[in-house]
Amino acid sequence: MKIDELEQLESEDLSTITSTERRKFLKMGLAITGLYLGGSVLSLTTVRSAHASSGVVPEPGQYPYNPHYSMVIREKLCIDCERCKAACVETNSVPEYGFRTTILERRRALTAGEHETTFMPVLCNHCNRPPCVRVCPTTATWKDKETGIVVMNPSRCIGCKTCMTACPYNARYFKEEIRAVDKCNFCYDTRLSKGKKDTACVEACPADVRIFGNLADTESRVFKLIHAPDTMVWVLRPETGALPNVYYINA
Amino acid sequence: MKKILLFMVLGAFLLTGAILSAEEKKAADTDYDEDTYGPEAPIVWTKPVESVVFQHKTHTMDAGLDCDSCHDDIFVMEAGAAQENEDFTMASLYEGNYCGSCHDGSTAFASDTRCTTCHIGVRGHARMIGGDSKEGGEEGHH
Amino acid sequence: MNSLLAAVLPQEGGLEVPVSGKYNVAIGLMGLLTVVGVAAGIHSLWAGHEHTFGVSREVPWGMLIAAYVFFVVTSTGLCIVSSIGHVFGFANFNPIAKRAVFLSIATIVSGFLVIAFEIENSWRMPVNNVIGANPTSNIWWMGTLYGAYLFFMMIEFIMLQLENHKIATAFGLMGLLTGVVAHSNLGAVFGLLNGREFWHGPYMPIYFITSAAMSGCVAIIFFTYLAYQFNGWKMSESMRESMASVAKFGALMMAVIIFFTSWKMITGVTGNPPGKYEAMQALLSGDYATNFWIGEVALGMIIPFIIILAVKGRSMNALFVASLAGMIGIFFMRYDLVIVGQLVPHYHGMGLVDYPDLLTYVPSLHENLVVLGGIGFCGLLFLMGEKLFRGHLSEDH
Repeated sequence: MKIDELEQLESEDLSTITSTERRKFLKMGLAITGLYLGGSVLSLTTVRSAHASSGVVPEPGQYPYNPHYSMVIREKLCIDCERCKAACVETNSVPEYGFRTTILERRRALTAGEHETTFMPVLCNHCNRPPCVRVCPTTATWKDKETGIVVMNPSRCIGCKTCMTACPYNARYFKEEIRAVDKCNFCYDTRLSKGKKDTACVEACPADVRIFGNLADTESRVFKLIHAPDTMVWVLRPETGALPNVYYINA
Repeated sequence: MKKILLFMVLGAFLLTGAILSAEEKKAADTDYDEDTYGPEAPIVWTKPVESVVFQHKTHTMDAGLDCDSCHDDIFVMEAGAAQENEDFTMASLYEGNYCGSCHDGSTAFASDTRCTTCHIGVRGHARMIGGDSKEGGEEGHH
Repeated sequence: MNSLLAAVLPQEGGLEVPVSGKYNVAIGLMGLLTVVGVAAGIHSLWAGHEHTFGVSREVPWGMLIAAYVFFVVTSTGLCIVSSIGHVFGFANFNPIAKRAVFLSIATIVSGFLVIAFEIENSWRMPVNNVIGANPTSNIWWMGTLYGAYLFFMMIEFIMLQLENHKIATAFGLMGLLTGVVAHSNLGAVFGLLNGREFWHGPYMPIYFITSAAMSGCVAIIFFTYLAYQFNGWKMSESMRESMASVAKFGALMMAVIIFFTSWKMITGVTGNPPGKYEAMQALLSGDYATNFWIGEVALGMIIPFIIILAVKGRSMNALFVASLAGMIGIFFMRYDLVIVGQLVPHYHGMGLVDYPDLLTYVPSLHENLVVLGGIGFCGLLFLMGEKLFRGHLSEDH
């Protein structure tokens, strides 16, 4: 290669890089170093920190399904009358040894030796990232593409019970009568598909503890409840990364 | 040597604690007079929802109410009879009936707050009557 | 078919199993155990696990899973041990290789027998695993990979019998690779469950492979000694050398397992990590302390390790004692791993009333019988293998 040919070549030094490209590159570096140094605190760029991906309540418009069925539990109103359990058992023919939903009891010490009891209804959380669905070898359980409900196909179930070990919420049990794992499906087969708007447990609740609805609908009660001001919203066992769709609130 | 000392101190603590709590209990038991304060056994309503508890002791001996504060205007003497009435509901309480006569937010905590103070639920009732708490959800093994 | 069988089964040479009452009694006993175990298993499928097994919705995996893991760990280990000689050419490991390959098939088949009764609808598996294949499921991979593994090992074994060492080595290598993937994947069945703190993390797949290597060494010593002692055969010098090498390799693996276990326990109690700590305490000082300290630590690690080092792998009787202790200890390791991982209740640490701190599980009669059936079947295959394949002698090559 001759000298004059060499001179005609495009320079590979930094001078030919456009300023946007350079900025992009720098940003990338900062984002990466920032990320490694612990996120947005040390980074000069935002690294999408505004996106509340780690919170339990998604941004409006970020609900992946429509209808995005979910349940909001107004926990402190629960009085453990267990009408929900009875209604569930009757509607979904739950055997005596199993349950799809149940009530747990929490206790907190108050002053002067008193205690405050809180009843905590639990059920399948119809997670956005359901561990049970991931582990099923035969796709006998899956997240319904339309409603986001985690459903079961009993005839596909081989009974390995891995979904039961994987579920962080103890929502599954093996139903001998159908030789398959059984779980809450928001009464999809027994009520929703027949035109009813809520689940059996919701209908049975005398204290308006359980609210069922479509989170993708900003006019729905569930949406309004978990996006209301001055409300504490939490989910159970968020550390498992399952992204549950049963929300607990203190209002 | 140090360990023994530690055990002795701990032991002494536990012992006095046990004696103290036993004495306290005894005192409470002997002081309670059913004629003055009403039946010691809690009243439990199971309708319209399971289950709601009422303790005479809390209201009479501790809070200083007399029998005729409630009987027979608000509640008849027969234990648990109120649950047979049609209007024995929360809505009725909010209008000042039954417990709502005092539990209105000024005399005593409002009846639409602190639900589980009185509502012991199916679990609480089972525990009270000494039944198994099988409803607990997680029993481990059967 | 007959000609293949004739080719696979050695007609002469090797070591002959003497026809004796002792052999027939042993075969009968193992056969009986198998029949009883299978009967118990079929009955439990018929009646439902709810009524026959000790498992519950909170502890859905019981002793059968532990036994299954035990068998497949041993199988993978035997495959690893056999491959050291056959595939990687360490001649010292050659004399035990044929038996190891055979036993790796026998143990995995026994494992399959046990898990067939643990899976409540196992008959749905062949079809549903295909039409419903779920590539994110470790259990699906487990079935698929172990199926392939069994196939490769069987081809390897047949090729070894046919003296076709080239193909045998190739299939041995494939079996080894599939086995290692399958087995670490089995660890991942547990390790990838975010909701079970005791299992969750990279430890399980790593631990599974290491303990497989250890189990393989222990198992081949155990079975080789039994075969020679039972049939009154005399061990050749090369076989004794081989046993010593295997024992030393096993001791090394035990040292690694001791190291792993120590750190597992230390990380499990330091800073009381929620969910993990309670399980660790069950092992260290709770209901499972006997299992852990006597079963896992003493029988499974310390005793065999010390014996092997003390005799420098030379005394066959001592090695047998070490391997017996090791086999029992390893069963405890699998049992504790499977059961204790499920004992911390789902909603732990929330201050719940009338809620157990730790769940319980007790294996039922049915479960015990099925496990014994699996052991019986494995023993049956071992005894038959010794007779049919005339002591699994391998010629130098």
